[in-house]
Parts: sequence; structure tokens; C-alpha cells
Amino acid sequence: MSGHGIRIEGLKKRYGSGETAVDALKGVDMQVAPGEVVGLIGPSGSGKSTLLKCLGAVITPTAGRMTLGNDVIYDDGWKVRDLRALRRDKIGFVFQAPYLIPFLDVTDNVALLPMLAGVPNDESRRRALELLTALDVQHRARAMPAQLSGGEQQRVAIARGLINRPPVILADEPTAPLDSERAMAVIRILNEMAQKYETAIIVVTHDEKIIPTFKRIYHIRDGVTYEEAGEGKSIT
Amino acid sequence: MISLAGRDILHTWGKFVFTGVGLGLLIGVTLVMAGVYRGMIDDGKALLDNSGADLWVVQKDTLGPYAESSSVYDDLWRGIRTIPGVAAAANITYLTMQVAKGDKDVRVMVVGIMAGEPGLPGWPPYLVAGRQITRGHYEAVADIATGFKLGDTLTIRRNHYTVVGLTRRMVSSGGDPMVFIPLKDAQEAQFLKDNDAILMQRRRTEANPAFNRPGVPGLLDAVIASQTTNNYVNAVLVRIAPGYTPQEVAEPIRRWKRLTVYDRAQMEGILIGKLIATAAKQIGMFLVILAAVSVAIIAFIIYTLTMDKIREIAVLKLIGTRNRTIAAMIMQQALALGLIGFAVGKITATFAAPLFPKYVLLISQDAIVGFIAVMVISALASLAAIRMALKVDPAEAIGG
Amino acid sequence: MKILPFQGRTLALVAVIVSLLALLFYVALRSGPLAPVAVTVAAVENRAIQPALFGIGKVQARYTYLIGPTFAGRVKRLDVHVSDRVKAGQVLGEMDPVDLDDRIRAQQAAIKSGEAALRQAQVKRVFAQTQATRYEKLLAARGTSEEVVVTKRQELAVADAALAAARDELNRFRADLQGLRAQRSNLSLIAPVDGLVSVRDAAPGTTVVAGQAVVEMIDPASLWIDTRFDQINATGLAANLPAEIVLRSRQGEILQGHLLRVDPLADSVTEETLAKIVFTKIPEPLPPVGELAEVTVQLPELPVAPVIPNAAIREVDGRRGVWKVEGGKPVFTPVVFGRHDLQGHVQVKQGLSVGDRIIVYSEKALHQGSNLHIVERIPGVSP
Repeated sequence: MSGHGIRIEGLKKRYGSGETAVDALKGVDMQVAPGEVVGLIGPSGSGKSTLLKCLGAVITPTAGRMTLGNDVIYDDGWKVRDLRALRRDKIGFVFQAPYLIPFLDVTDNVALLPMLAGVPNDESRRRALELLTALDVQHRARAMPAQLSGGEQQRVAIARGLINRPPVILADEPTAPLDSERAMAVIRILNEMAQKYETAIIVVTHDEKIIPTFKRIYHIRDGVTYEEAGEGKSIT
Repeated sequence: MISLAGRDILHTWGKFVFTGVGLGLLIGVTLVMAGVYRGMIDDGKALLDNSGADLWVVQKDTLGPYAESSSVYDDLWRGIRTIPGVAAAANITYLTMQVAKGDKDVRVMVVGIMAGEPGLPGWPPYLVAGRQITRGHYEAVADIATGFKLGDTLTIRRNHYTVVGLTRRMVSSGGDPMVFIPLKDAQEAQFLKDNDAILMQRRRTEANPAFNRPGVPGLLDAVIASQTTNNYVNAVLVRIAPGYTPQEVAEPIRRWKRLTVYDRAQMEGILIGKLIATAAKQIGMFLVILAAVSVAIIAFIIYTLTMDKIREIAVLKLIGTRNRTIAAMIMQQALALGLIGFAVGKITATFAAPLFPKYVLLISQDAIVGFIAVMVISALASLAAIRMALKVDPAEAIGG
Repeated sequence: MKILPFQGRTLALVAVIVSLLALLFYVALRSGPLAPVAVTVAAVENRAIQPALFGIGKVQARYTYLIGPTFAGRVKRLDVHVSDRVKAGQVLGEMDPVDLDDRIRAQQAAIKSGEAALRQAQVKRVFAQTQATRYEKLLAARGTSEEVVVTKRQELAVADAALAAARDELNRFRADLQGLRAQRSNLSLIAPVDGLVSVRDAAPGTTVVAGQAVVEMIDPASLWIDTRFDQINATGLAANLPAEIVLRSRQGEILQGHLLRVDPLADSVTEETLAKIVFTKIPEPLPPVGELAEVTVQLPELPVAPVIPNAAIREVDGRRGVWKVEGGKPVFTPVVFGRHDLQGHVQVKQGLSVGDRIIVYSEKALHQGSNLHIVERIPGVSP
């Protein structure tokens, strides 16, 4: 499950072909250790979303190499057959908006993922409740998403991202809609989860409130990444 | 695994049931339309069944007595009665007219039945209230669709008739309810004109020197009397004795050269083939249009239901839900919608059918065909929606 | 699923679905070919029925008198109007004598001339007699020839004949005069009996032919109703049966009468038996002649017999009978029927026993094997 986190080497992505081709990624190198939370900062058009989509096995890169834990998942071509299973089991997503399924209650929203993987319903729900408790939102276990506050919804979304204990979590602007207190709470939870479950977490953000908390930051510009040491401010 | 379709329905059950009811009403209208079509055909069959006749003897070369007017002498039945194979022969007249009911008019078919006993061809075969006619004049048996009740008085031409019996489902091929009165009264009603016209005719006859000869007293009176008698009926109904075929009995009658004889099959052909054909085709076309509209609306509803969930579907795909699971969710919802729609439609049709002015016949065959059609259409419509759902790019869930 | 979440809402939805399915099931069972047919049932009972015969008649006068001249002429005056009551012998009017008076005078003159002619013939005869006698005497005295005597005798004979002719001619004229006088007296239209003037056929000044009626009279005491009964429903029609009469213009009033006679000649064209009904007491005011009347003739009550309502009579495969209810299923039973009354009760001669339950009303035609649903009243029929 854990392992060596995620490593990307020389990732390239070209849209289109011939004269109208656009190189969104021109050779990206990245490395996140298990238990580490790194930031990914870049302006729009820098290839940020494309990188995230490649990492999330949603689109196919043009060239490069991606390693997840001990497994090479991409090496100038997908090395796994079932991308969807990959997404389900190995990659967790936390979005800008919670994107909870509105017709499932909080527990089932989180329990859905293991159920899809074949885990019996009781066991799935037990695990979900465990995570919800860890995120201090278990008192809303039976509520429908619409009844939750923004922050509660976000925490449930994080629980969903974590439930299959994926080695990697991709968080896309998770604090954008939140105020500073809530934003700090989310970053704190992410760090706690990363520690506890040895998950490598990549947080795409340009939220000034949380950037100081990262120990390492990747900047991306014109399809290339630059590493930078962050402030590593402690989270209260 | 939980049922995503079930959960979604539970969550938005109001919208779902409401949509189902709306769809159901449309399906109900389609079923009723089919019922109207069948009802028209049944009206024609009911008319033939209720007459109790196996053969209809009418004026030569006419399609009467229902599709065309036909006049035969009223003593013809005696000759027909003696033909071997004839168990019963009876005169009958039909006249469609307005009958006063309170201050409203009711359109009825007045049937003149020959004096005799219940069981004679032309007499109402069964009653729902009251009794059959026992007096030779001024009594009537009316169908309940006219709105008359036992003891009511109805006026036909000059005379008043007391309603002594009620029938059900006695209608003309056009759906007009029937009123049975004694033949002699009906003959008078059919051929005797109103008072003004009679006075005019008398004056014309008096002014005619050929009829008003002073040397022949009584001539004028005799001529006037002959103008006001009526010796015609519209048809003779014949019932065939057991052991004889319709052809055996019809041929001798046809050979009399002044009469045309139709058997049951030919009458059905005339009534349903000629009389009802145009109206039936009209309704048939409307039915096809309604069915097409229903198909379009079911497809549209299912498509819209799916479109409403497109974001959730993208998220589901992104987090790793199998295509199969998503497809099953959409298909299940479509079938559930179709089921609710059909149930509501069938129930609405059954309760609405008796309220229509003409007979609406809902048969199980139509319901079963309708059910299969609705289910198939729902499934097919869901396929289109599924195709759209599966094409959704999960990357859309991740912002630009 | 261990515990259903949102129990309330789920239960509500389940309830809706279950009731929908139940309704569908109900609908499938109650309509369509499997649906039971609502019928009402009655028992065959023993009853004495009193048949009655119903006919329509016209008020007519038994005797109508048509009074008119015996020869062509012009109506001079009429002294009576329609509805006048007249006595026997009363003068109702008079025909115009036209030239009759002149003809009488002419005839009288003719008589006078006939009398003159008679006298002339008498004188001639006397002369001829005298001549004959003289020449007879002369013949005896041989004073003349035989031939002359014969001639004179012949002249005497001729004179005799002429006298006889003149007498007869005079008698003829006298007889003619009597004839004219008789005609003259016939100019008056005289009422033959007490009665009521019903029609004035010709107004004064109209020329009428011999035999044409000028005034019609009826005897109001002789009003009867010329009634027609359908032959097929005229069983038992006989003289002296009591009858109830309802005149067209007096709908609520029932008048009593009785049947005077059944006409020996029926109407074969309309297939009706004719009978004459008289009033027990002629109603005042008199009903106009020609008014329609409904007549119900009461026949004597029949002995008690099993009776069914005529609404139960059905025809199946050419046989008449009723549907009996046996074990909740309909069974067609052919029946031989007897007499019936005007209320719709029909006697059963053969085929049913008292107490058998038969189907009277049904909402649809019945077949062997129809499912029955016995009710008090067919739905849709208000009490």
C-alpha cells in the first residue's frame, strides 16, 4: 500500500498534432514521499490541471514515467490494464468542491468506494464511520450532504478520498472556498492523515493562507516544475 | 453494494413520482384512445348482437337498414315467416331523432318493435330495470345512456310515451342510445309529418280538382286518409331455425327479386367496413400520433433525468465506478419510471373510460401490448441516456 | 442493508407503490373478460294475475245521419249550427226551389189544359156517338152504305180512345203535380231523430248533388269508442268485459265502460281486432268525435300459477326461457309461457317451479359460464 510514494520523471503531454500541437507538459519531474504533504503552485495555463489529470490517470501522458509505490504505472504507455480500478484503489481525490453524491447519506458517500471494490456493505460502512470519526464529523453520519455546512462537506470529501487508503491523494484547491480557520483545519487533517496512513499528498493551491504550511513546494510554469523549499509553518 | 437507482429515487421521490404520474396520464390518454377505437367497433357489433337477428331483409340494392335508408312493405314478414328454416321474422323500423328530455334534447335511435313478446327479433334482449313493453301503444324501453329513468315521459312527435324499462349498451352504430317503442307508433313517427305539413298537404289535395270532385262525395276524404297511412318498415329481421345455414334461408328470399338479404358477416362488413371505417381510421391515426408522442416524451424525460445527474456521474466515474454500474442505475430508473407510468396510466384509463359520452372499451390485450411497449421504450430511451452518460469525461470533475 | 435509512420516507414510498400495484390488480380483475356480470335475482312466485288488454280507439257516434237533398240543387238556408241540439222533425234548413215553383205552376196550367183537352175529347165522343147512332139507324133504314156506317163506328172508337187518352193524360199531369209537390216539400231538411248537429258540409249558396250531405247529425247518446287491439294481444276479448277509458284530452281521468261487441271483421292489413266500447255514463262535456282514447279491458282474474317478470325472458339459440341460478352459475332453462298481464307478469306453464331463483336484470348479455355478481340493483340505475 505505501511504499515510496509517487515519483514522476520526464512527464510530457502534447495536445493535438502537427502545427497546432500544444505541449502542456514539457518534462515534469516530481517526487513525494509517503507521509509527505507537498504544494503544487502555478498560474492558470501552466499545465497544472494537465499534470493533475495525468497523475490521476484520467488522461494519458505522451511520454515519461510514473511510479506509484513500488509499481510503475506508466512508462511511455500505461503499464496497468484497469485504469478505473487504479483510480479507485490507488488514488484519492479531493476537489475544490466536495462533489458528494446528493442522494447518498454521508456514511454511504464514503462507504461507496469500498462497496464498489467488493467489500461487504457492513464492513464498508464500519470503515467509513471510522474515518468520519477521525475527521470529527461522525455526528453527521446519517445526514444527507445538503444538510451539512461547507466545512463538514469538505471533511466528508476528504474521508472519501482516504477510505481506500490510497498511497496517493491529489487535492485540487481544497481550501479555496473556505475561510482561514477552516482552511487551516483542512490542512491539519491532511497532514494528520498523511502521517497516520503514510499517504503522499499533493495539494494544488494558490491559497496564501496555507502555502506557508508546506515544507516543500513545486512551482510549475510553462509545463516544467521547479522545486522549492517551503516555510513549513506549523499548523495550529 | 447498494442500489444507486433506488437511493436516487428515494432522494427525489417527489419529482420521480410526479414525473411518473405525468407520464402515466399521457399513457392513460393513449390507452383511452385505443379504447375509443375499440368502442366504436364494439358499438357496431353490439347493434348486430342486440337485434337478435341472423338475417336482415332490406329494400333491394340498398345497404340498409343501418348504412342506408331502406323501405319494405310491412306485410312482407308474413311471406318470409313461412319459408322453411325461418324460426321468427319481425318488422323493425329505425329512426334517429332528437327526443325532448326536460328542457334539453337527447339524440336517440327510435326502434319500432313489432307487437309480440320478449324474444322476438328486435326486442331488447335483456333489461337492467323495469319490464318489457306490454301495451301496444305509448310505452317505451329506453337505454340508460339517454338519461331517462323509469316512469319518465318522453315525447316523440305527437305522442307521449312512458318509460317502463331500461337497457344498457343498446346503441346505434353511431353510438346513439336506443329507445324501443311499439312498431305502429314508430311507423307513425317515421312517416307522419308534423301538423303544419299535414294541413298544407290537405289544402293542396282539396285544391286538386282530380281529388275534389263534387259528384263523388267521400273521394276527398279517402284520398286524404290514404296520404296519412304508412305501410312501410325499414327491414325484416329473421332468426334462423337450428339446423339451417344462413345461405339456405337467404336464397329463397333473395329470389323474390325485390329484396336484398344480408347475413351477420355481411352486416358486420357493411357496418364496420363502410359505416365506421372513416371514423375508425381517423382515431387510428390519432392513436399512432399519441403513441409517437409518448415515445418522444418518455425518451425526453429519461434523458433529462440523466442530464440532471451528469455531474454526479462524472464524479462517480472519476472515483472509479464501473461503467456497468452507472448504466444499470440509469436503466433501472428508466424501467421504474415506465412501470409507475403504466400503472398510473392503466388506472386512470379504467376510471376515466365510463365518463366518456361514447363507449370506450379497454381490453386486456391492449393493456398488455401497452405495458410491453412502455417497458421497451423506457429501456431504449435509457440506452440513449446511458450512451451519453458513459461518454462523459471524468476529467470534467476536475476543474480546468 | 441492515437498517433502512430514512424509514419514514421509504415506508411512505413503499406504501404508495404497494397501493398502486393493488389498484392495478383490482382494475385487471374487475374489468375485462374475467369481470363478473352484475345481475339481480328473483324467485318464481305463485300469483293470480289479472290479464288486461290495451287498445287505442277513436270516439265515434254509433249513428251518424247525413241529411241532404234527393236531387241536385242549391242550398238556400241553414237554420242550425254545429253543436246545436235538435229535436226529431225539426227543420234544419232548406234547399233553394229554383224553378220548382214555376214548374208547379206550369204543371197546374198543364192540368188545366189537360182538363180542357178532356172536355174536348168528351164533346168529340158525344158527337161521334150521335153520328154513329144516326148512321146505325140509317143503315137499318137502308139510307146509307155499310162503309159509311163502319167509318162512323170507327170514328166513335177513335173518339173513345181519345177520351181515355185525355183522361189518362190529365191523371198523369195530376200525378206529376203531386210529384213536384212532394219534391217541394222535400226541400226542407228535416232532422230524423233527436241529436246534435256535428257538421255543416255546405254553406248556403253551395250547389250540391243528389245524395251529398248538407248537414250531419249524431246521436250523442250513442257515442262509442271504436277500438283496435293488436291481434296477437287480443286473447280473451269478448263482449260485456269491463273497460277503463282514458280520453286523450283528459289524461288523469279514468272513465268506466264495457265492451259492447267484437267486430266480426278484423283489419287484416294492420293485424288488429276491432271492438266497440261504450261508456257507462257519457261524460259531460261531450268528447269530440274523433278524439283518441286509450282503452284497457279487464279480463277475469286467472287462478294462481307460477309467475315471473317479463324482464327475465331471454332468447338463446332460438328458444325462449330464463337463466336459472344454480350453484352461483347461470343455467339456461327453456320455458313454456302462459298468459300475461299488463304489469309484465307472465305465467309459467312448464320449465320452472315455484321458488326457483332466476336472473331478472343483468348488465350484460349472459353466457354459459359467466361469472355472476348478485346485486340488489344494477349499478348505474337510480332507484
